[in-house]
Amino acid sequence: MSAVTSPPGGAPSPAGTPRGTAPAAATTAVFVRIKLALLRNGLRQSTGRKAAYIASMVVTALFAALQLLGLIALRGHPQAAVVVVPAIALVALGWAVMPLFFASGDETLDPTRLVMLPLRPGAVVGSLLVSSLIGIGPAFTLVLAVGSVVALGHGAAGLSAGIVAVPLVLLVCVALSRAVAAANIRLLTSRRGRDLALLSGLFIAVGAQLLNLGVQKLSEPGGLRFLEPAADVLRLLPPASALDAVRAAGDGAYAAAAAQLALNGAALVLLLWWWRASLTRLMTAPDGSTLQAAAGPDRKPGGESSRLAALLPADRTGTVALRTLRYAWREPKSKAAWVTALAIGLLLPVVYAVQGNGSPYWACFAAGMLGLQMYNQFGQDTSAFWLVAQTISSPRDAYLELRGRAVALAFVALPYVTLVTLGFVAVLDRWDAFAESLGLSFGLLGAFLATGTLASVLYPYSIPQDSGFKNVAPGQTGQAWIGIVGGMLASAVLAAPLLAVTVWMHVADAHDWLWLLLPAGAAYGWAAAETALRVGAPRMASRLPEILTAVSRA
Amino acid sequence: MAGSPEEDVTGSAGGTVPAAVGVRGLWKRFGDQVAVAGIDLELPAGQFVGLVGPNGAGKTTTLSMVTGLLRPDSGRILVAGHDVWADPVAVKSRIGILPEGLRLFERLSGRELLAYTGRLRGLPGEEVDQRATQLLDVLDLAGAQHKLVVDYSTGMRKKIGLATALLHNPEVLFLDEPFEGVDPVSAQTIRGVLERYTASGATVVFSSHVMELVESLCDWVAVMAAGRIRAHGPLAEVRGAAPSLQAAFLELVGAHGRDDGQSLDWLGGGAR
Repeated sequence: MSAVTSPPGGAPSPAGTPRGTAPAAATTAVFVRIKLALLRNGLRQSTGRKAAYIASMVVTALFAALQLLGLIALRGHPQAAVVVVPAIALVALGWAVMPLFFASGDETLDPTRLVMLPLRPGAVVGSLLVSSLIGIGPAFTLVLAVGSVVALGHGAAGLSAGIVAVPLVLLVCVALSRAVAAANIRLLTSRRGRDLALLSGLFIAVGAQLLNLGVQKLSEPGGLRFLEPAADVLRLLPPASALDAVRAAGDGAYAAAAAQLALNGAALVLLLWWWRASLTRLMTAPDGSTLQAAAGPDRKPGGESSRLAALLPADRTGTVALRTLRYAWREPKSKAAWVTALAIGLLLPVVYAVQGNGSPYWACFAAGMLGLQMYNQFGQDTSAFWLVAQTISSPRDAYLELRGRAVALAFVALPYVTLVTLGFVAVLDRWDAFAESLGLSFGLLGAFLATGTLASVLYPYSIPQDSGFKNVAPGQTGQAWIGIVGGMLASAVLAAPLLAVTVWMHVADAHDWLWLLLPAGAAYGWAAAETALRVGAPRMASRLPEILTAVSRA
Repeated sequence: MAGSPEEDVTGSAGGTVPAAVGVRGLWKRFGDQVAVAGIDLELPAGQFVGLVGPNGAGKTTTLSMVTGLLRPDSGRILVAGHDVWADPVAVKSRIGILPEGLRLFERLSGRELLAYTGRLRGLPGEEVDQRATQLLDVLDLAGAQHKLVVDYSTGMRKKIGLATALLHNPEVLFLDEPFEGVDPVSAQTIRGVLERYTASGATVVFSSHVMELVESLCDWVAVMAAGRIRAHGPLAEVRGAAPSLQAAFLELVGAHGRDDGQSLDWLGGGAR
């Protein structure tokens, strides 16, 4: 450790042997070679992964090219800065949060891996900064920055400001990403950090819908004015301010441009200093993470759990339901699935409503999204299913187990679907359609519970616990597809009679009797789910070892 | 072998002691690989039974099949006189398991895990909570009872796993590598609990590859290698004339005469 703790530029390593600290340039070359090797090794994986790797590169390149074209087209547009400045700010935000969600992507992000090597923090910062400039992300950012300069720059002053701004933007983004990662590495390598990374799929799913909504708003006539207040603030902040400097220089506001560029330079220096300070602390202070884990305070979880328990039945059904609901809240993959279902079930109908295609029937979508949670119940248990299998010795036990899981889902889904339906009929002022929409939703939920129960028993598969994106273990994709796609088709068929009755009642002009669809749908859904539980239970009881093997693969 | 008469399997092991576990003609293949190649074994009741063997010998596969977690290709297994696959109701309430390589419900706290397991086993809620408190105390987990199991250390996980296996007071306890990765203090705690448990007439069957441990703990051992039982019987009998169980074991699994590192002559002090 002496090489690390001695002051920079201090005495050469004790014995003067070749084991001393490597010169900075050589270190940089090593890191650059590592980065290039990592990129190359992307091509040396299995065919499927290689295809995904190449596809992601092609998509990024296409996206970058399209953006470049768009930015060139924006050149000279009076509102170009209103678009460009928030766009660069968004990319910078992406750089800042990316290591929190994709820490596993680049192992050099974790400086604790370098602790055992005789390297000084200063040399590490320099080398990692240079090697971080290689890759898909930096290339994308570079294209975006160059395009922005093309869109905003006018005259020689604009061009020269652009020549300074582009490398500044790139360096600030990369340094921001690294500094955030280094400051949070304890979190990233802890259980909580890994939990956070597992939620990344959720953020992408919900973020895509929010983006969808945002694009809807912005593409309305005059929609760009929504961005103006944001742009006014962002043009003061690095790295977006570097690009606004290009605009300012082109407009002749040289002092403002110089100040904005200087601000970016200062930000870069500050980020590098923060990064270096974090590295020094990480490479010299002992890692107390295990100590903390062992001696942390032991607090009793809040009373909400016991209050929840009081609402559920006291038998096995209640025990199972309570465990399922606790997992929905505490286990990151379950949580991601539940929150995605709740959010998308609400957001997508809202998107349609904003587009003008709103209908109270879209509330059924929430029922479907939540119903999907019933699929692959035992895969969600992982190999801990052995504990469940150990306590099931008769079809009756299996029935109670399956019912507990269905009750947990219904416990959330019934009030949620009711609220969503109420919300939509209120917003769209279609109170006449309330009863039938809700009846259809309940019927559909029951159909999904029924098919989900049977698919869970007959087509179980493992859910990898280490990735936020993979939901099927290698080799079990077939099982998963049969279960989910077959199940969804079966759910549609199951719900078809209810739908047919609804359509018939509309055609036959029996509007006065449409309210009957609410009790009918609820009864139909309950009957479908109950039948599936009774059919599925004996099969589950006789297939326990096979289910355990299927869900223990990952 | 499924048709063999029950008396064959439940008969005595070594004379007067009744069998806690009887296994006849047990086979398991995974693809081309034979994991368990025809095991016949009777484990005596009321004793500390050790199942020893090198990694990959088939210990975990055997224990998984005996406890009903893995379906055998062929063979018959009786636990306390009941067929594991024909009469799961009688067997599952009589056995406790601590598996190796399978997870627990790690997002529950230690206490919640015990409450959950006990209720799944059909025990009354108050009884479960009372037993859980005592088990957590004895296993020195009371201070971490409200912490999630995912944040437990290896030793704590083994102890909470043991608590879930003991909660319903089983007749036979199956433990797969219970001391693997466990610190000496936790190991001593586990040992104390198990010794008290067997003293009351219950049976503990555990697998291990740490011979010193097996030698100091077990009354009866079975040595496994390459999917077969190489030797079984009371500890002294299996050890025979060898100075230690370790020596007897190496002899039995044929691990003598290997290059024990002589070719690494550059390793160690001297020229670098």
